[in-house]
Amino acid sequence: MWRLLATLFALALAASACGGSDSSDDSSASSSSSDAEETEVTLAASGESLLDTIKSRGTLNCGVSGSAVAFSELQADGSMAGFDADYCRVVAAAILGDANKVNFVSLTAAERFTAVQTGDVDLLMRNTTWTQSRDSEVGMDFGPTTYYDGQQLMGRESDGFSGSSQVSDIGGSVICTSAGTTTEKNIADAAAEAGVVIELQTFEDFDTVTNNFISGACDIITTDGSALVGRKAQQQPDTENWVIFPATPISKEPLGPTYGQNDSAFADAVNWAVYATIIADEKGLDSSNVDMMLTSGDTETIRLLGGEGELQSGMGLPADAFYQVISQVGNYDEIYSRNLNPVGLSREGSANAAWTAGGLVYAPPAR
Amino acid sequence: MQDANQLSGDLEFQRGIGQQGSSPHEVPSLPVGQWLRKNLFSNWGNSLLTLLGSFLALLALRGVLNFVFSENREWDAVRTNLRALMTLSYPESQYIRVWVSLGFVAGLAGLSAGLWANWGGVSVKRLSTWLMGSGGLLAVCVIVREPSVILGSDGKVVRTVDGSPQRESFLDAMVDRSSWWIAAAVLLALGTLLWGRFTSPDRRGVEVSVTSVVFVSLGLALLSLWVAPYGHYAFISETKSYVAESGRTVAFSTKLPWTVMLALLCGFFYLGRILRRSDYAGIIKGASNLLWLISPLTLFWVVLRDPALDYGHVMSTDLPMGLAFGFLGGAVLWSLTRPGVGEAGRLVATMLLGFAIFNWVAAFFGWYPMLQKARISFLLLAIAALLAPNFIGEIAKRRQLVLSWLGVTALVHYLATMINTPSTVELQSSEFLGGLGLTLFVALIVVLLSFPLGVLLALGRTSKFPIFRMLSTSYIEVIRGVPLISVLIFFSVMVPLFLPDGMELAELAAVLTGYTLFSAAYLAENVRGGLQSITKGQYEAADAIGLTAAQRTGFIVLPQALTVSIPQLVGQVISTFKETSLLAIIGLFDFLRVANSVIPAQSEFLGVKREGILLVAMIYFFFNFTISKYSQRLERRVGLGER
Repeated sequence: MWRLLATLFALALAASACGGSDSSDDSSASSSSSDAEETEVTLAASGESLLDTIKSRGTLNCGVSGSAVAFSELQADGSMAGFDADYCRVVAAAILGDANKVNFVSLTAAERFTAVQTGDVDLLMRNTTWTQSRDSEVGMDFGPTTYYDGQQLMGRESDGFSGSSQVSDIGGSVICTSAGTTTEKNIADAAAEAGVVIELQTFEDFDTVTNNFISGACDIITTDGSALVGRKAQQQPDTENWVIFPATPISKEPLGPTYGQNDSAFADAVNWAVYATIIADEKGLDSSNVDMMLTSGDTETIRLLGGEGELQSGMGLPADAFYQVISQVGNYDEIYSRNLNPVGLSREGSANAAWTAGGLVYAPPAR
Repeated sequence: MQDANQLSGDLEFQRGIGQQGSSPHEVPSLPVGQWLRKNLFSNWGNSLLTLLGSFLALLALRGVLNFVFSENREWDAVRTNLRALMTLSYPESQYIRVWVSLGFVAGLAGLSAGLWANWGGVSVKRLSTWLMGSGGLLAVCVIVREPSVILGSDGKVVRTVDGSPQRESFLDAMVDRSSWWIAAAVLLALGTLLWGRFTSPDRRGVEVSVTSVVFVSLGLALLSLWVAPYGHYAFISETKSYVAESGRTVAFSTKLPWTVMLALLCGFFYLGRILRRSDYAGIIKGASNLLWLISPLTLFWVVLRDPALDYGHVMSTDLPMGLAFGFLGGAVLWSLTRPGVGEAGRLVATMLLGFAIFNWVAAFFGWYPMLQKARISFLLLAIAALLAPNFIGEIAKRRQLVLSWLGVTALVHYLATMINTPSTVELQSSEFLGGLGLTLFVALIVVLLSFPLGVLLALGRTSKFPIFRMLSTSYIEVIRGVPLISVLIFFSVMVPLFLPDGMELAELAAVLTGYTLFSAAYLAENVRGGLQSITKGQYEAADAIGLTAAQRTGFIVLPQALTVSIPQLVGQVISTFKETSLLAIIGLFDFLRVANSVIPAQSEFLGVKREGILLVAMIYFFFNFTISKYSQRLERRVGLGER
């Protein structure tokens, strides 16, 4: 009896001793590979910057939609492609020197901010509109806008709509949009302001909305302009002509990187990685000529590419951070045309043209 | 069973024949004309119903065919995304791991079928009616589908003035579909030929085994992969382009592995057949059952994840710990089963249980650190110690307990180490496995784990001891009173909040736990239904011949109760499989979600949703129909519904 108890006691001691040595990385029976890292993140949130955490972890956890056409779409082979996905790669290339060190996390609109707050993702590139309440109450910080979007409407030419139609022309129409989004409120407000009566119908997702438009159940559909252009390019039947109006969108939807507030070092790294792509576009620097420009470019170009080095090193990035960004992912124009031109979104004449071409895409100088 | 057969009357005797193959309800066959008159056109009301029914059926068939073959369907979306539908983001370079896992399951399935199955035969006459039926159906399909649209030289649909597409004439359509006509004619001819040769009274009973029918059909389906021009569809990651080449057979990387899968299935089936008659049949049957329990976990966490073992850590911590638990625990159990250990054994077992539970309480308050493995092992040891009094006595029995303990410890420690080791498979997104792979994995694990738990809960609820009864009843009622979605959300969102610092539960593990607990509650009620059908006499008879409570449950009550509840249990399996699509709500990419939201969001296939959903529905139907058919056969074999 006593011998038994003694055996048991010794066993318990042995196990506890084993446990004491490495309880942090081994304490879960059924945890995934990244658990140890996730634990670190929560610890890190209190003190050091996310920038150091990402460097020691070696991957960037980037929150995307996963089902936003041309912005972040899951491909047939399981890879993530699109404008937002490429901006995740830009940040990874700047911080880690490798554009492929991104762990894409598909998030729904409802869970995106919680995912940042709990440290599940470092950064959101999930077509998130920069608004005052999100910046203040929700506790997010926003980086430079990468895409200026705005809510528009799409109708049929045969119903008398044209590119110059206004909200005041839609009286009496059946307008459809997806449920539970701000687009619903925006169109109701705009119609009330223009003094027209509309019939608003909402559906679960925008695929259903478009199908109802094609079948004729809806006269007009409305959502962000970028999505409407994509739908028109892909789903317009041969027999119809769809038009998008009004030329000035009824709402402003600036989309860009979003991260947790009060982490200046990480925010600077993300912001300047985005700015680097914009400056490169201004300077005519792209992935094909970046090696040449490293020696033959002007002073600002060489500074941006890390020729002098101290600017990037001073903010905790490798000296060649932006060289890696441009050579591995490309400049703003390359990223834009690669992802958005195929669905019919062109830069010229839109708010997303460079500031020198009458658009809004502008970056502070690198010096 | 056999005795019962001889005792009862005619019906039971027919069942005896049924076990050898032919259906017990077979009626003497009538000539076709008489059969039609008797069954479908017996009076004018019946004739009207028949005509109306066939008209509606034709209308539905026409609708489905027009939908599937419409010029608006983009089946390319499904074809190029087949891999995404099956495994989502599992990298192509590591795909051999998927095939190895599948091959293992195919081999095991073949072995089990060979060892256990008694599918009997199917009469050639019946087979011939199937052939004729499918030929006729094919011919009807060819006729009712509306003529195809005409494509202009620019590849676009030619339209009439009012915008509706122009269709070819009915005659042209029939000519265009000549290959389908030929196929239908071949099936009909084959059926008629067999029918003619096997209707004479002396050859009516000729049968072929169901196994060969299954294998020949599978073989033909496989052969079509090698010869039929299904088309070659692929997604090229380098150029991000979709390649669709119709007129070719499917990719080599598809047809070769499937050929190997079928070869494994057949090979292991015949191996099972041979082993069934050998002296070791019992051991091999036990081993194959054990493999079914272990393999899903092993295949998922070891083969598919390919853990990067840190051998230093393994040597310094994992191995010594496993050995310590194995041998010290074995020693404890050995001494607990000494003859004459008496009350002291029970005392030690209870203390062990208290200690094991205290460890878990301590974990939640974070009092002292301990490896999770150790907590689990202490709990298992406590359970083994509680069971020990059943093994007191001869050396052989004691050895059996200790050896089982060693086996369980080895397995638990091996799996826990593997699960805790990071994966080396390079993923392109955070989802490790998705699509049909995830759906099947979750369904399989949940069914396998919830079954024993459900049986225990059912026994608990019908137990004589108030404490077991109360605990089981309250558990079952609480779980059954909550929707599955709430349970899943609770385990995915809430449980991580309750866990102490530094202890985490992966999303998938959390979901599996929640779903298993949920499914077990429903299963328990199904089993309880079976338990209640056992008459009191069975219990009294078992007691009268001196069986212990465990023996009475294991040998008398459960076999009968489970047999009775087969239909409900199969229903539970089917609904478990189908309800995995709720995983989408908590963010996992199950089969349906890939078709419903991943494919329609690809810029190439924007909004293409119906095709994928139709395919998903068909695959769900295929699995569920197979399960359902198999269970019907099982019911017939055990004579359910004929008592």
